[in-house]
Amino acid sequence: MAAAGKISVASRDVLALRLLVALVIFGAWEAMSRSGLFYGEVVPSLLKIGASLIKLLLDPIFYRNLQVTALETMLALAIGAGAGITTGIVLGANRFLMRAFEPYVYYLSPTPRIILFPVMIMWFGVGPASKIALGALSAFFAIALSTAAGMRQIDPILIRVGRSFRANIWQMAMKIYLPAMRVPILNGLRLGMGTAIITVLLGETKLSNQGLGYLIMQIYTRFDMPGLYALLITIFVIAGAVNALIGHFARD
Amino acid sequence: MASNMNQSAEAALVIDDVVKRFGRGQEIVTAVDHVSFTVKQGEFVSVIGPSGCGKSTLFNIIGGLLGDYEGAVKIGDERISAPHPAVGMVFQEESTFPWRTVIDNVAFPLELQGVAKSERMDRAHHFIDMVGLASFEKAFPSQLSGGMKQRVSIARTLVSQPKILLMDEPFAALDEQTRLLLGDKITQIQQQLNQTTLLITHNLTEAVQLSDRIVVMTYRPGRVKRIVNIDLPRPRTSDVVGSDAFGHYVAEIWNDLREEASRGMADSESAASRRAAHG
Repeated sequence: MAAAGKISVASRDVLALRLLVALVIFGAWEAMSRSGLFYGEVVPSLLKIGASLIKLLLDPIFYRNLQVTALETMLALAIGAGAGITTGIVLGANRFLMRAFEPYVYYLSPTPRIILFPVMIMWFGVGPASKIALGALSAFFAIALSTAAGMRQIDPILIRVGRSFRANIWQMAMKIYLPAMRVPILNGLRLGMGTAIITVLLGETKLSNQGLGYLIMQIYTRFDMPGLYALLITIFVIAGAVNALIGHFARD
Repeated sequence: MASNMNQSAEAALVIDDVVKRFGRGQEIVTAVDHVSFTVKQGEFVSVIGPSGCGKSTLFNIIGGLLGDYEGAVKIGDERISAPHPAVGMVFQEESTFPWRTVIDNVAFPLELQGVAKSERMDRAHHFIDMVGLASFEKAFPSQLSGGMKQRVSIARTLVSQPKILLMDEPFAALDEQTRLLLGDKITQIQQQLNQTTLLITHNLTEAVQLSDRIVVMTYRPGRVKRIVNIDLPRPRTSDVVGSDAFGHYVAEIWNDLREEASRGMADSESAASRRAAHG
């Protein structure tokens, strides 16, 4: 999905192979669907999925829930990024603090945040706030780590130049650290965005009354398999497009 | 220089008995050992010595980037222990900001000072013109040659109008011809601004070409071996390199320098053979 933006530079052969893979997958899917080996609608035909997709995209309920999830993810990313970039800069700029806190960030970052969901529900309620909090928490680690790593890659001479002109901490951050770390920070944002989307959707499927995750569970409860696949495809496309967009800015 | 003899008695920069040691216990290395000299208003002074004579340490102390040292570096009555507004540093390394255009690079110090945009651009433009890069204002550093990037760094430092221009081998990475031509540019700018300048270098011809006085340093520990007055006429150009007087100065200083350089070379060779024996 992330490669979507690169199609224009990919050679014709690469494009052909990609199309071939897609066709093979679609073909296999359709064959499975018609084989009758699977119970009922578990593997619905592509035509049915297509019809559901059109129905979904015309349904205002989809857009209302999409809006909720998008807003939750954006706020989660904004909060996670603000805290993550700040923490990354502070840890990256100060060797003492880095040594003190690095183990926490490193060892906590791969732990599953979803286990904190009950806590977030208690603190922030069943509504969007608990998903935002959990999403922010998961985005935070990815962004903080990649910012701290980016700090270590900054050419030290640029920092000496800033010091020689007596830049204060704020000026150092805004005029040297951040522009020098554009690529690692955008990569961190991309990772953070990914985990924020995952966590928000996961939270919504567990306990909520709105959002795309909630919608997935609604459709699942109705056992509307074509509708479920249509929604999943839509979510994949949206997440991929967002990734490609951030990736586009991360390139030099 | 004759025109400002009356103010030349005034010392712009005083280096007074400066000592800097690194390490602790048995491993102490004295990088700078009781170094004293002054730079007068409008004067161009070079500090020359082989690698390992502590000249880069001295550069960092004077620039205020190395605050922990003994003795005093003074501007007026102020002892320097942090970067001082009167000192403008130009580094040996390529130090332009790759994400800024030439004019935005040069305007950087003014931006920090909160100077309004139009004035910032005017002043940056003036110094870019002075270093001869007027047609490259909108270019990014990646589009420039090494010599051009160093001129951007010099313009960026000059725009903050420092009382003392402090340069650490700004042309070290350039070829000899470019170096001589940039030397001309530096001389011209220095005479135009009557800019007090302290240049750290290991290049003998560069030092003689540019300086009023040369401070010759010893190899580790770095002490002042001798201070040589360069009585070459001003205004000067790189033509002076062909003159007899120039050759005389180079020979004279090389005499002092050779001894120090051979000590440095012997030292690094024995260190290398120790490493080889261990390896």
